[in-house]
Amino acid sequence: MNAPLLRARALTKRFGGLTAVADLDLEVHAGEILGVIGPNGAGKSTTFNMIAGATAPTAGSIDFDGAPIAGRPPHEIAARGIMRTFQHNQPFAGLSLAENVMVGMHTRFSAPLWKLIAGSRAAQRAERDARARAEALLDFVGLAEQRADDVGTLSFGQGRLLEIARGLAGEPRLMLFDEPAAGLTPAECERVAAIIRDIAARGIAVLLIEHDMRFLMALAERVAVLNFGRKIAEGAPAAVRADPAVLAAYLGSPAGDAHA
Amino acid sequence: MRDFLELAVSATASGCVYALVALAYLVMTRPTGIINFAVGEWAAVAAFGGFLTLTHAEWPYAAGIAAVTAAMFAVGWATERLTVRPLVERGAPVLAPILALLGMLVVFRELISVGFGPDPRPLPQAFGFGRLEIGLVAGSYQSFFTIGVVLGLFALTWWFFERTLAGRAFEAVAIDRRAAALMGIDLSRVTALSFAGGAAIAGVAGLLVAPNTSAHYMMGLPLAVQGFTALVIGGVGRVEGALVGGLILAFAEQLTVRYAPVPPGLAMGVPLVLLILFLLVRPTGLLAAREARA
Ligand SMILES: Nc1ncnc2c1ncn2[C@@H]1O[C@H](COP(=O)(O)OP(=O)(O)OP(=O)(O)O)[C@@H](O)[C@H]1O
Ligand SMILES: [Mg+2]
Repeated sequence: MNAPLLRARALTKRFGGLTAVADLDLEVHAGEILGVIGPNGAGKSTTFNMIAGATAPTAGSIDFDGAPIAGRPPHEIAARGIMRTFQHNQPFAGLSLAENVMVGMHTRFSAPLWKLIAGSRAAQRAERDARARAEALLDFVGLAEQRADDVGTLSFGQGRLLEIARGLAGEPRLMLFDEPAAGLTPAECERVAAIIRDIAARGIAVLLIEHDMRFLMALAERVAVLNFGRKIAEGAPAAVRADPAVLAAYLGSPAGDAHA
Repeated sequence: MRDFLELAVSATASGCVYALVALAYLVMTRPTGIINFAVGEWAAVAAFGGFLTLTHAEWPYAAGIAAVTAAMFAVGWATERLTVRPLVERGAPVLAPILALLGMLVVFRELISVGFGPDPRPLPQAFGFGRLEIGLVAGSYQSFFTIGVVLGLFALTWWFFERTLAGRAFEAVAIDRRAAALMGIDLSRVTALSFAGGAAIAGVAGLLVAPNTSAHYMMGLPLAVQGFTALVIGGVGRVEGALVGGLILAFAEQLTVRYAPVPPGLAMGVPLVLLILFLLVRPTGLLAAREARA
């Protein structure tokens, strides 16, 4: 197999006395879906935050496409090609759906302002293309009809779909999904699963956090299990599901979590 | 009637200047939350720049204005780099840069007073002295010039914020800084650009009033107060708010001076009365944040 797109080594994050993530190794390849599961507070979101640059690791390294990115500012990491959805939808309130998506593509496609003022054709074309691209992405997630609406009018599930479109707008090579199925109806879950499969099929690497094991098992080729910040198992979904350490971890947490 | 129209033109011209100062506040405060009271001093700096290039060196009007505006861009950028960024990078609360900028206000004023002394310095009018009469509407050349420039700048700013990708990015930062950064927007670049733009806008305001009032080291404070009042009246949610706020303020001032039986000295209190009134009754300003649009 060729070199992984993302490689985290000995990744560690401490909040004061609490070790949220300890000594974690992760590898994700282009076009692959890697699932990350674990009980509440296992350190899944913290891991994402370190990869996306929202928080700096206490120790360890993260390489993306061979370049070290640990501790770099979030806009730089986004520009390198890592985008994310949030565990709790965070749309830009007051903007329309299309505008929300256009914000996601700002890094890549925004023309320099002076060129626009000077009436540069290329700059004007880039602006028009951005709008068309935003509409295509909304179409991809099934929100084309509402593109002009305010984000405040969306249902929870539609908000999740918008998060995905906005993340894709930056043309990521690695997409991070933080519990994309949480709070969705079964039909919406199906839809999100199909979209994620589609994204991976385009060659984008996917790192997928999920609580819902059933959802994850159907999607991920490999699964890493976190517990108290440590990786306790990694492998094919079926093998991981039968792993005694994993069963113990899930039995020790609220039973509803696993859905196994 | 003629009397009122004459007053309307001059009130619109002053209102446009207040609106421009309010706009300078707005472009900085929207994405950063920082209220920068040094805008008045920036206007004064630009006015003295105008004195140096236009009066002293006798450059052509357009060249002088362009050079000073470009220099103000750099002044705003440098101010942000030196006073705001070090504080933001250390995670200081938003009050810290506001106080640091108040300090800069004093620095700018003292630099001007040391460099030019207390005497007012004259600036030429854009088209010389003269009156333009269009039917019943009449006013000085400078009034009409001011109105035209300000409306043009407002149109440009509105277009930037509402119609360009970069403007939408500024708006996203205004709505949610953290999420905007994770979507790839460089917060420090947005902050630096908003200060550079704010300084350039405040500088144009200074260049527009200075032919009437002369460049003077104390000219900054009243502009800062009037612009802030216009901002509070119009609200920070929308670019048009600054324009509406500036016009309301100027008309209130001039109508009071002209028609109300109060001594002219007291009329200077009008901005403060309006400021207090709006802060008490409608602190969000007249224009609420805009509706969504595709
Ligand atoms: N900013 C922070 N400051 C202090 N502690 C934090 C912070 N962020 C997370 N933690 C702690 O780190 C641990 C891991 O949190 P994290 O959010 O990564 O868990 P998670 O696996 O995403 O959980 P969930 O399934 O509930 O989303 C938790 O104990 C949490 O309380
Ligand atoms: Mg989480």
